[in-house]
Amino acid sequence: MSLRKQVEQRRKDTRWIVGGLAVLLAALTGMYYLTQRSQDLPSELVTNRVLLFVLSYINLTLILAILFVLLRNLFKLVIERHNRILGSKFKTKLVATYIGLSLIPVLLLFAYGSRMMRGWIDRSFDQPAWQQAAQGFSVSEGLLDQLVKYRTHDTRFALRQIESLDSLDTRRSPDLQRLLHRLLEDLGLDSLAVYDRTSYVLGVVDPLSGLNKVPEPGEGILMQAMRKAPAMRNAQALRDANAMREAQVMRMVGVGGGEELMLTALAGEERQDASLPVVVAGSLLDKEIATERRQFIQAHQEFRQLEVSKEDIEAGYVLNFLMVALLILLASSWAGLYLARRITVPIQALAEATKQISEGDLDVQVDVDADDELGILIHSFNSMTAELQRNKELLEESNLELVTSNLRLAEERVVIAAVLQNVDAGVISVDEESFVLTCNGAALHMLGQKGVDVVGMPVDEAWSDPERQKLAQLFHQEPGASGRISQPLRLLLGGAWKIFEAKVTTMRAPQGQVSGRVMVLEELTELVKAQQMAAWSDAARRIAHEIKNPLTPIKLSAERLLKKHQAQDEDLGQVLEEGVEIITREVETMKGMVDEFSRFARMPQPVPTEVELGSLIDETLSLYHDIKPGVAVEARVEKEAHNAWLDGEQIKRALINLLDNAVEATEAPGTVAVCASKSNGNLRIRVEDNGRGIPPEEKGKLFLPHFSTKRRGTGLGLAIVHRIVSDHHGTIHADDNKPKGTVFTITLPQQ
Amino acid sequence: MNVSAAVALSAFLFFGSSGDKPHLSELHIALEGRRVEASFELIDGFTEELFERIQTGLASGFTFQFILSRDQKLGFENKLDSSTLEVTAMYNAVTREYLVNYKQDGKLIDSRIAHDREELEGAMTRFSDLTVFHLGDFKSNKRISVRARAELGSKTTLLIIPTRIKTDWVRSRRFRPPEGQP
Repeated sequence: MSLRKQVEQRRKDTRWIVGGLAVLLAALTGMYYLTQRSQDLPSELVTNRVLLFVLSYINLTLILAILFVLLRNLFKLVIERHNRILGSKFKTKLVATYIGLSLIPVLLLFAYGSRMMRGWIDRSFDQPAWQQAAQGFSVSEGLLDQLVKYRTHDTRFALRQIESLDSLDTRRSPDLQRLLHRLLEDLGLDSLAVYDRTSYVLGVVDPLSGLNKVPEPGEGILMQAMRKAPAMRNAQALRDANAMREAQVMRMVGVGGGEELMLTALAGEERQDASLPVVVAGSLLDKEIATERRQFIQAHQEFRQLEVSKEDIEAGYVLNFLMVALLILLASSWAGLYLARRITVPIQALAEATKQISEGDLDVQVDVDADDELGILIHSFNSMTAELQRNKELLEESNLELVTSNLRLAEERVVIAAVLQNVDAGVISVDEESFVLTCNGAALHMLGQKGVDVVGMPVDEAWSDPERQKLAQLFHQEPGASGRISQPLRLLLGGAWKIFEAKVTTMRAPQGQVSGRVMVLEELTELVKAQQMAAWSDAARRIAHEIKNPLTPIKLSAERLLKKHQAQDEDLGQVLEEGVEIITREVETMKGMVDEFSRFARMPQPVPTEVELGSLIDETLSLYHDIKPGVAVEARVEKEAHNAWLDGEQIKRALINLLDNAVEATEAPGTVAVCASKSNGNLRIRVEDNGRGIPPEEKGKLFLPHFSTKRRGTGLGLAIVHRIVSDHHGTIHADDNKPKGTVFTITLPQQ
Repeated sequence: MNVSAAVALSAFLFFGSSGDKPHLSELHIALEGRRVEASFELIDGFTEELFERIQTGLASGFTFQFILSRDQKLGFENKLDSSTLEVTAMYNAVTREYLVNYKQDGKLIDSRIAHDREELEGAMTRFSDLTVFHLGDFKSNKRISVRARAELGSKTTLLIIPTRIKTDWVRSRRFRPPEGQP
């Protein structure tokens, strides 16, 4: 069941509970009234008691409602705790706190309040007004009793007088009326009547009393008088006040105008003629006295009514107070439970949602209505989960893209690896800390190594031997602004010299920082051999050509001498001299040529030593001072380059060859300069001129043996220079000088 | 106070002592034609407390309940009719008289004046030949009987719990309804 449904269910439950309690209360009240009506008790009898019963039923209903609410919630809490539902412990504490906060004060208030109320009721019965009313009643009734006593005596006197007559029959006893008038006057009565048992005989009234006729006493008083006659006689004998009071027969009769007539009746003894006289004497009470008496009676009876109903009154008040207390308790406990639910339901929902999130379900939203801080919390929580869900979806999309990219990269890597493994060039990559990342098969084959000995190793360890160390040094060189280094290498590997063209390129990350370097290694050994073969072939051809050139004048001179000798010309001597001179000169030329080749062929291996390069350059340049008018020669040797590690004689010879060409190519005014500097462990010697320069198409053939742009050159000068530089493990290349001329740069590694 | 003592005190307060417990005397039934007349007396029901209450001027009294039933097997009874007699006394302190009203099934059937306690007690507790049911055209071969009890009012227990005070039921002898037309 979703959280929303649970909350709605709870709301429905609340409505059901409220409706149910209302129906229960109405049913109990109605049932009680029906019960009362069925008994049909008089309203004056049941009113107070009905109120008590109604109150008690209401209280019982309220107690049941409170118990129902409390027990229902306690039962739910126990079930929730048993089922380990999230938030049940917090809910238990909250509910216990709320119920305690509502239950304890209400019960204390009820206990104290009911005690106060009973005390107040007790005190209210001790009011002086009540006491005065009781005293007034007692006095008035006492006076009335006293008056009754006197009138009873008067009545008794009258009865005796009447009993003395012979008969009650007025026809036979005419003195009865006179006797009654006399008694009326003598005793101060307002009325006096004689009855034979319950039958009226004769009566008189005082005309001044306002009574216009003899009052009717009623049969009851006559019967009562006859019934109490013996008691009266005994009471008279005993003179017992209480017995007298019990034996007296008195009646109060209203006569209108607020006056009351007090009737006292006494019965005599049965006479011989079977008559039984009963005398009823009437005395009017003064109107004011009667009124005062009624008021005393009314006040006293009210007090007595309250007094006998004290228990009911107390019970009624206590029940009313209990009802209010229970209503407060029900409302407060219900409100407490409602508030607890208002707090715990969102927290419970949040806890459940958090649990679902911890289980990986980010598509959860807390759907609980709350407009307080909990509402803000829920809103924030929902926003957070929605954001998490969006991020998760983005992450999944990114992950998918990443997987796709990785697959593509893996495929590309496989292709690149395959390409690298199958290309003839060696490819070596190192990271920014000069650890070998990759080394393809061609490179391993060229270097005569295995992958495990190279890949993952620092370059200085991978290539620690002196020959391969040259490769490591290339990785250590600063590539300059171009980021590239291109350098030929000649390594002695496996007892054979191998020539490589090494190109080192710096790899940069997209942000620009150096991420590593890549070396492309191309083996040129066979190519160089082929070039050398071609060069030697060309050299042989040129040598043959050069040798053939002097041979022709020698042959012609020899044939001319032979003709002159055969002809015995007279100028034979002159021709002989000229012919010998030509032959000698051409032979000398051929000898010089042979010596030059001989020297080139016999060039020894360089023996490097510590040389003062500045002196060597100055000494060499001294040969060219003033050799060509208008062409100046100068040296620019930096301080760090004054000492160098090289074979001085061979370098001097190389410089002479370069200076020969430079001076020869420079027209006046011009300058030829030799510059020397050191950087990155390399010595750099530059021979600059501002002569006519070298055409681009000839630059590639400059260092080939017997290549010459000069008409009478042997073509071995630059080849010798290249040989000397190579023997020093250095490089030489020619570039255009600015604005014109040529720059030859010799780079020699220094130990 | 332990639990058992509290229960015992509650029971004592609720039921009171067993001595002088109000009860109805033997219920005599006589048939006058098709009228069922009852004679009975409420014994120990006219208490000092009730008299004091009447003396204050509050209308107080008893309610007698009568049930006419026919015997059934297995002890069950078949209720045929029921009636009530309310006896209410009111004291007039000015005239020092007691007015006793009798209502049967809600209808006033009689009023009497009593002048002292003895007369009042007799008027409220002793009844002779009181018509409680009229059988009408009821016919039955089975015997019928009348049972009665008195409701003496109510009291509060444990200060706040109102409870009714009632006598036990008393049952008359069984009799057969008279034959013939009403």
